[in-house]
Amino acid sequence: MDEKLLEISNLRTYFFTEAGVVKALDGMSLEVYKGQAVGLVGESGSGKSVTAQSVLRIVPRPGRIVDGSVKFEGEELLTKKEDEMRKLRGRKMAIVFQDPTTSLNPLYTVEKQLTDILMLHKDLSKDDASKQALHLLDRVGIQDPERRLKTYPHELSGGMKQRIAIARALACDPVLLFADEPTTNLDVTIQAQVLELLKQLQRELNMTMVMITHDMGIIADMTERVTVLYAGKVMEVADTQTLFKSPKHPYTEALLKAVPSVKQTRALEVIPGNIPNLIEPPTGCVFHPRCKYAKDVCVKKEPELERVEEGHYAACHFWRELELEGRGG
Amino acid sequence: MSEARPRRAASQWAVAWRRFKRNKSGLIGGAIVVFFILVALVGPYLVPYPARSYQSLYEGDAGDPPSFKHPFGVEVSGIDVFSEVVDSTKNDLYVGLAATLITTLIGVAIGALAGYFKGAVSDILLGVTQMFFVIPVLLLILLFARVFSVLVFKGLGLTLIVLILSFFGWSSIAFIVRGETLRLKEMEFVQAARSLGARPFRLLFRHIVPNILSPVIVIATLNIAGFILTEVVVSFLGFGDPNTSTWGLLLNEGFPYVRTTWWVALFPGLAVVFSVLGFNLMGDGLSDALNPRLRE
Repeated sequence: MDEKLLEISNLRTYFFTEAGVVKALDGMSLEVYKGQAVGLVGESGSGKSVTAQSVLRIVPRPGRIVDGSVKFEGEELLTKKEDEMRKLRGRKMAIVFQDPTTSLNPLYTVEKQLTDILMLHKDLSKDDASKQALHLLDRVGIQDPERRLKTYPHELSGGMKQRIAIARALACDPVLLFADEPTTNLDVTIQAQVLELLKQLQRELNMTMVMITHDMGIIADMTERVTVLYAGKVMEVADTQTLFKSPKHPYTEALLKAVPSVKQTRALEVIPGNIPNLIEPPTGCVFHPRCKYAKDVCVKKEPELERVEEGHYAACHFWRELELEGRGG
Repeated sequence: MSEARPRRAASQWAVAWRRFKRNKSGLIGGAIVVFFILVALVGPYLVPYPARSYQSLYEGDAGDPPSFKHPFGVEVSGIDVFSEVVDSTKNDLYVGLAATLITTLIGVAIGALAGYFKGAVSDILLGVTQMFFVIPVLLLILLFARVFSVLVFKGLGLTLIVLILSFFGWSSIAFIVRGETLRLKEMEFVQAARSLGARPFRLLFRHIVPNILSPVIVIATLNIAGFILTEVVVSFLGFGDPNTSTWGLLLNEGFPYVRTTWWVALFPGLAVVFSVLGFNLMGDGLSDALNPRLRE
């Protein structure tokens, strides 16, 4: 159980655009142990999706991984050849994308989407693949699977489509699953169902899951460990419970304050400002322009990820001094 | 949550076909096209006079206006216009369809490759496409037809015209396909397929190309009309095959005498107009069926 499945060290993924070099990931690190459910949280543009893309090495042009190391099952992925990577994609690691309407090919039936990948990675006949596809639909909780096999994506509701997308990602029993904002495009009740499904699958298959989201509520519900990402850099890493009870980074505190709760009566605190320009990021601590505790040193010197206690790290000059508000629940 | 209502076929093609059936002008166009195809297939067996035959001269009917015996009249040379127009149908359709088929295959292949890959491959393909797009096609067709005319008398005739048209006519499809490929490349289902291990060619031919078929079908249909017209121009100017009946050839023969034996030019002309109209209407209908933008 204590085996490190994924180890990202100092990853830098830059996008070389005409407007300049966008530093989407600028020294990002992440550790995921086998069987864990890990969260990667941050605002839009923090680099969460790029992380998943970088691990699978499908970063779209003009992006490129420029530095760092990504070790999967002990092997370095960044030096692998493209056809070695292709053997891993879909087979050992998979992504569930945010919008199932666009991530499923509109021209093919559900059956074809599933048998396609089954026949690609496993040497199955069309009939065997169809049987497995049926089994997959069952596993993701789809009623009347025989009929659903012959339907097209546009005939299905959002929740159903996402279940199909999940079935597709799990088709070849990957050991590592990235769920990239899987419920953001769904309405709330369906969201709960899909999350419940993911939780159940993760348990049943003992799958290692990286839950990428901006929603702290999902983090609380689904993960045991969480990394907070901002502007391509890691702000804080901790066990989920610890992060919620005693955050040590101002950004984490701000994120927690921005989550609405049924019980609260005060107004939501919004983090002022916008995510920084990643072509010319702020000097020193990348969060300083929006941080209410920022001091001079924050503008000049970039904080390192320091150890708060065992398993808890924060990148802030003042984590010792600040008494940040967590959420008891 | 189960749905009890009976399922209509829901594939992209089934949906488009239902939409096409509702489009009146598209259906009219389709009917015209079907009509011409029938004439092309069956007509030559039913005409009174064989192709390019001067028989009417011996019957004393040369130069006669339309009558019951000769519905479209007779040329001064004794050729029965009705038989010729009917016989030409299969030849003109052959040129239109064959040239469209070849140019579509070339255009899709080059366009997809140019759009999918970056770097030298793409740049070279794009440059070649641009080159072919810019050159004055008609002049070159006439030139090539004249240069290769020695082959014409060896019986290559129309096929030569088809080959020349195809050689110069694929660039517009290539551009459209390239544009669509560039757009589709960024679509999430392509990313998703890539994340699941698909190889580039699989991505191209299983995911991207099937999704560009809609505009390609529309353009191909319109191109059929275009190629027919080009053939008419080539033959009318006298650069075609004088031994094969085509509408253009008939126009070439009828034009000098249009003041007297006007029927020789009129009926082939009408045939051209209606066949082109048919393909254009059908193409518009297909366009609306495959790419609906207005709310129904």
